[in-house]
Amino acid sequence: MRRHNLSTVISFEVLRTLRKKHFWMGTMLVPVAIAVVIALNVLSNSSTTQTLDSQKNAKFSFSYIDDSGYVNPVIAQAVGGKLTADSGKGIAAVKSGKLDAFFYFPKDPTKDSIRTYGKDGGIFNNGKYSAVAGQILKLSAENALGDKTLSTLATQNLKIKSATFKNGKESGNIGDVIPPLLFLLIFYFVILLLGNQMLTSTQEEKENRVTEIILTTLNPTTLVMGKVFSLFIIGLTQMAVFTLPVVLAYAFFRKDLHLPNLDLSSLNFSPRPMTIGLLLLIAGFTLFTGTLVAAGAIMPTAKEAGQVFGVAVTLLFVPFWIVSLIASSPDALIVQVFTYFPYSAPVTAMIRNGLGSLSNLQATIVIAELFILGVLVLRLAVRLFRYGSMEYTKRVSLLTLFRKN
Amino acid sequence: MQIVGTDPIIHIKNFSMHFGKNVVIDDLSFDVFRGETFGFLGSNGSGKTTTLRALLGIYQASAGELQVFGREFSPEAGGKLGYLPEERGLYKKESVIDVMCYFGRLKGMQRESAATWSMNYLERVGLADKVKVRLDKLSSGQQQKVQLGVTLMNDPELLILDEPTKGFDPVNRRLLMEMIEDRKRAGATVLMVTHQMEEVEQLCDRVILLKDGKARAYGTIAEVQDQFGNEVIVVKSFNLIPASHSYQILRAEAGGVELRATEGVSSQHILRELVEAGIEIEKFVPTKPSLDEIFIQIYGNENPWNQEE
Repeated sequence: MRRHNLSTVISFEVLRTLRKKHFWMGTMLVPVAIAVVIALNVLSNSSTTQTLDSQKNAKFSFSYIDDSGYVNPVIAQAVGGKLTADSGKGIAAVKSGKLDAFFYFPKDPTKDSIRTYGKDGGIFNNGKYSAVAGQILKLSAENALGDKTLSTLATQNLKIKSATFKNGKESGNIGDVIPPLLFLLIFYFVILLLGNQMLTSTQEEKENRVTEIILTTLNPTTLVMGKVFSLFIIGLTQMAVFTLPVVLAYAFFRKDLHLPNLDLSSLNFSPRPMTIGLLLLIAGFTLFTGTLVAAGAIMPTAKEAGQVFGVAVTLLFVPFWIVSLIASSPDALIVQVFTYFPYSAPVTAMIRNGLGSLSNLQATIVIAELFILGVLVLRLAVRLFRYGSMEYTKRVSLLTLFRKN
Repeated sequence: MQIVGTDPIIHIKNFSMHFGKNVVIDDLSFDVFRGETFGFLGSNGSGKTTTLRALLGIYQASAGELQVFGREFSPEAGGKLGYLPEERGLYKKESVIDVMCYFGRLKGMQRESAATWSMNYLERVGLADKVKVRLDKLSSGQQQKVQLGVTLMNDPELLILDEPTKGFDPVNRRLLMEMIEDRKRAGATVLMVTHQMEEVEQLCDRVILLKDGKARAYGTIAEVQDQFGNEVIVVKSFNLIPASHSYQILRAEAGGVELRATEGVSSQHILRELVEAGIEIEKFVPTKPSLDEIFIQIYGNENPWNQEE
């Protein structure tokens, strides 16, 4: 019966949220904005690429001076260039319209600018001069190297795998750090997106006077747990909706968007930090949810309950004030305090878990502490809902509440 | 009286409830038997709703034994309960059918049977065309009908109705009465809190009257009238009725008087006394006080409806 009721509450809460227009309007706002930006980017990049390609290959008459010595005269000539010795004459010829363009390659093009002077062809067409000048120098450099691999080595980022050691054991690199920190990202997303809903989750029963019927129909623990689970499901749905356009963009428009190729093979999903990260996420979620639901049960209206949300968000960001200390000196006293103080523990411990500075013992203590406290706070939340929501329009005083029972 | 069983479906023994130093209920005991309709009467603030909430586990009793279906109430322990609380409402932003099916499911019905039951009920109360309408788009009378439907879902064995007709228009009041009668005929037990004495006299087999958290009268209506209200006797006689310790003269008119018997004195005793005093009696009609009169007698000059529970 309890399990049946739990699934009934979850499906009711999830479905009624997913059926609401304003939920989808709010949720779709982010992916639609991302999709619009991506679409504009794709269109813009595609036309820019086409323009650049056509400009690079544009043919026009020009003269040039090469103080660098890197320009290959054959390549320059092939695209219509003619070496000259007098920059003044070259510029004057352009100004009088006798010549399309004049380029000046300085002694050290890596430090000084290449100068181009050209006949005006309109704001979108004038880019061809710099494109051709740059292309001449690039092709000349590749030609000078005479080897495609050398040219690639000189121009592209190289794949490097590093190994570092601490106390004789291989220490973590960025590929080890990122996967466990994904749990921190999920934690932030869920709390920031759903915190307010957690606070107001029991408000509807209170404001609509449904509490008494509910309390005589199902166990309040089942109701609160059902609401917590449904919020988690809704949060994951929102995250999936937010992530979808990014994944699609990466899968289908990676080249158009000039996105780097993600090499997922460098990520290390080690079981230990991943398990600890997952447990910290669940335990932290339990504690924060319990606290928010409990706070919501005391408040008479959704508006008043919303004020508590700011405090919860502040608590979430407090560990970031000392993030450099967490990374460099995990044994510092303040880091230890933040690791064990319940409301800063989830974030601090998840960062330390990602960085590899959270020992098994410390992880066990923090997870146990968060779970125990989370369960206690959830029990308090149930109690506050059971008795506090009977006050309907009044703000519940804890003293009165415990005196009543 | 329609008691079909002797096993109490509700059993309350030595129940006390206090909020801090404020004693709300003091040593209350009563039983409601299977199949009977029981009236729970008292002024606002006398502790009726508090008793119901403690009985249903919403409040924790300070002392005493409170049982429903033979054990401490728990919503998930089984036993079909239909509860219409004093503070009532439903999920207003959801559709009628979604809300009804949700509560049907919570009461242990299968999804299909909850939907079928709801459709049949909505058809019966004239709301078949409002199935998919949000509750807050219905009139308050229509919302009351849905609320009543939720209470009656899954054919409850026990109906607990806290001021069921409060806020109901006459049409819905009649509908409610019909539904209660239906459930009674089906063998359900009904406990109702009400201020409408005609409803009590129409529906209830037994009653309890509560004042300041204490039972002041308990039993069948006739027993309450016997134990609490002293008989009022209309005597027609051409003789002068003498004063006596056995009665109090309420009204004297030409050819007749109205007497109230002193507590513990029967009408037969008064008749004998008058005959022995040589009074020629043309008519002697003892009448029991109505529940309304008993109520007024208990609460005296205080206005019983204007206090906070």
